[in-house]
Amino acid sequence: MANTSPSQMTLYRAKVARNRATSEPAWIKYSLISLALLFLSLFLFVPLVAVFTEALRKGLDTYVTALSDPDAFSAIKLTLVAALISVPLNLVFGIAASWAIAKFEFKGKNILITLIDLPFAVSPVVAGLIYVLIFGLQGWFGSWLSDHNIKVIFAIPGIVLATVFVTFPFVARELIPLMQAQGKEEEEAGLVLGASGWQILWRITLPNVKWGLLYGVILTNARAMGEFGAVSVVSGHIRGMTNTMPLHVEILYNEYNYAAAFAVASLLAFLALVTLALKSFVEWQSARVPTQIEDIS
Amino acid sequence: MSIEIRNIQKSFGNFQALSNINLDVPTGELVALLGPSGCGKTSLLRIIAGLESPDVGTILFHGDDATHRDVRERQVGFVFQHYALFRHMTVFENVAFGLRVRPKSTRPTEGEIHRRVRELLDLVQLDWLSDRYPPQLSGGQRQRIALARALAVEPKVLLLDEPFGALDAKVRKDLRRWLRRLHDELHITSVFVTHDQEEALEVADRIVVMNHGKIEQIGTPQEVYDHPSTPFVYQFLGNVNLFHSRVESGKAFIGNLPLEVDAKDESNNSTAFAYVRPHDIDIQKESNIQSAFEAKVIYIHSLGPLVRLELQREDQSDIIESELTRERFLQLDLSIGSKVYVQPKNIRVFLNETA
Repeated sequence: MANTSPSQMTLYRAKVARNRATSEPAWIKYSLISLALLFLSLFLFVPLVAVFTEALRKGLDTYVTALSDPDAFSAIKLTLVAALISVPLNLVFGIAASWAIAKFEFKGKNILITLIDLPFAVSPVVAGLIYVLIFGLQGWFGSWLSDHNIKVIFAIPGIVLATVFVTFPFVARELIPLMQAQGKEEEEAGLVLGASGWQILWRITLPNVKWGLLYGVILTNARAMGEFGAVSVVSGHIRGMTNTMPLHVEILYNEYNYAAAFAVASLLAFLALVTLALKSFVEWQSARVPTQIEDIS
Repeated sequence: MSIEIRNIQKSFGNFQALSNINLDVPTGELVALLGPSGCGKTSLLRIIAGLESPDVGTILFHGDDATHRDVRERQVGFVFQHYALFRHMTVFENVAFGLRVRPKSTRPTEGEIHRRVRELLDLVQLDWLSDRYPPQLSGGQRQRIALARALAVEPKVLLLDEPFGALDAKVRKDLRRWLRRLHDELHITSVFVTHDQEEALEVADRIVVMNHGKIEQIGTPQEVYDHPSTPFVYQFLGNVNLFHSRVESGKAFIGNLPLEVDAKDESNNSTAFAYVRPHDIDIQKESNIQSAFEAKVIYIHSLGPLVRLELQREDQSDIIESELTRERFLQLDLSIGSKVYVQPKNIRVFLNETA
């Protein structure tokens, strides 16, 4: 504080005084903080540490073996494939839906909003069952599909479908409030200046929501890789074929193969941590960039 | 390019935003749409721009029907109330936007774009801001950049929605003089929307006063101020005193003062409203033939060259306002509680049409 100017000092003092005037006594502050910390460490931090310690309990060799097992490898591959397909699909859908909802007026808008929220409201198991009922052997299109030799249920297409369904709302839910807050004026300005619909989307709308979009994609990806319920129903648990990472963890665990189960689980947890780090980076970045127009009215 | 508006109607749900609007804007004129909020002035501006479409009626640009013409082909420049600058682009890119989005065949070269943008930034005297982003600018700067951006596409018509609404008083005054000068240089047909009568009176060639989705009066600032054609215009443009009266045998009365009314027979005994501007309320210490009523001074506000008085009528509970020159005020030697006789001049009487 060596080169703090007197006015800054006064400001600082005023701030401290104001804090005293509006804050609780010390013992309340610290007991609330420690309560929160205790809760967080008990329910979040300890389990996370447990996953990694359990995974490495029998040494690095067992860990590497568990992960390089062909079944584990195929589960990892399938998880990545499901994420790689469902994230771009929901990216495109999310942009289209939020663009329509936030920037235009049309009949049935509320129905569309409700539909987008449906996957949040429906239990993932039910979601999986829906696909079994539609595409399964006894389902509506079952006989037609088997006649044409197309397998959806107990195969990769079913897993991708279930993943797309459960991750449906993330991008749209992230973008709609952001786009609504930004209003339509910039788009209208672009229109009057002669820009086409595509030019407005690429040059005005998307750059304005890029950080929210990235945030939505990260959340979608996290959910796509971690989804268990819906995928479990449609997968059929065929080892080396239709097992994703979460399903593989469950199978290993049920076989009392704890070390291998925790090894795969630790990889999932690691992917989650990477996602969280990315998410924090995006949040920090979007706070830094002056995207928010100051309120001028 | 001239604009002709014929029988425009527009409603939003049950709300009639515009009814039966007819308006001609000759080439090169600067026209103000003036009215209180909710009077439909912004809707009308947006219909001219093509951002809304009218339910009924036609719009002609330069004599050609443009009612269903696409916004992009109308060759209008629009300045939004909150400027709507593209927040993720620099000032330079904002101004260049309209040129960059043109199809390849008509798009200027990169050098030409640079030259045009520099020219426009010079015109709005903000060339030194070209690398900044909109959130880093002050309100007045944003306003001028928005104008430069609108002018970049060489519009034939310039439309401005509350151009000075979000600025503080000092900047607002400077900017409207600047806009007037700019218009005198460029001579683009311009329409701007405002709720500020002072702004409209100072800047516009002609004023269109609107209320409840209808046009109340169209005229030069002088005309609408000196000869308001409806009670609404009288009240909306400047301060005014309102006197309620009854018509008796062809005359209305303010206090004891009889006023000629071009009354028809049936208007006898109907109510009349008489309007007098505060500067047309003269004050005498003695009663005479032109005195309307006796009043008491209850408030004196003497700032600047004019002295504003509030007077309490002795015969009624109404309070009226008067403006005197400082000289006249001193000559009368008034103080709070003084008894005075009020002499209204330039009285305008409107008969109550609903009675």
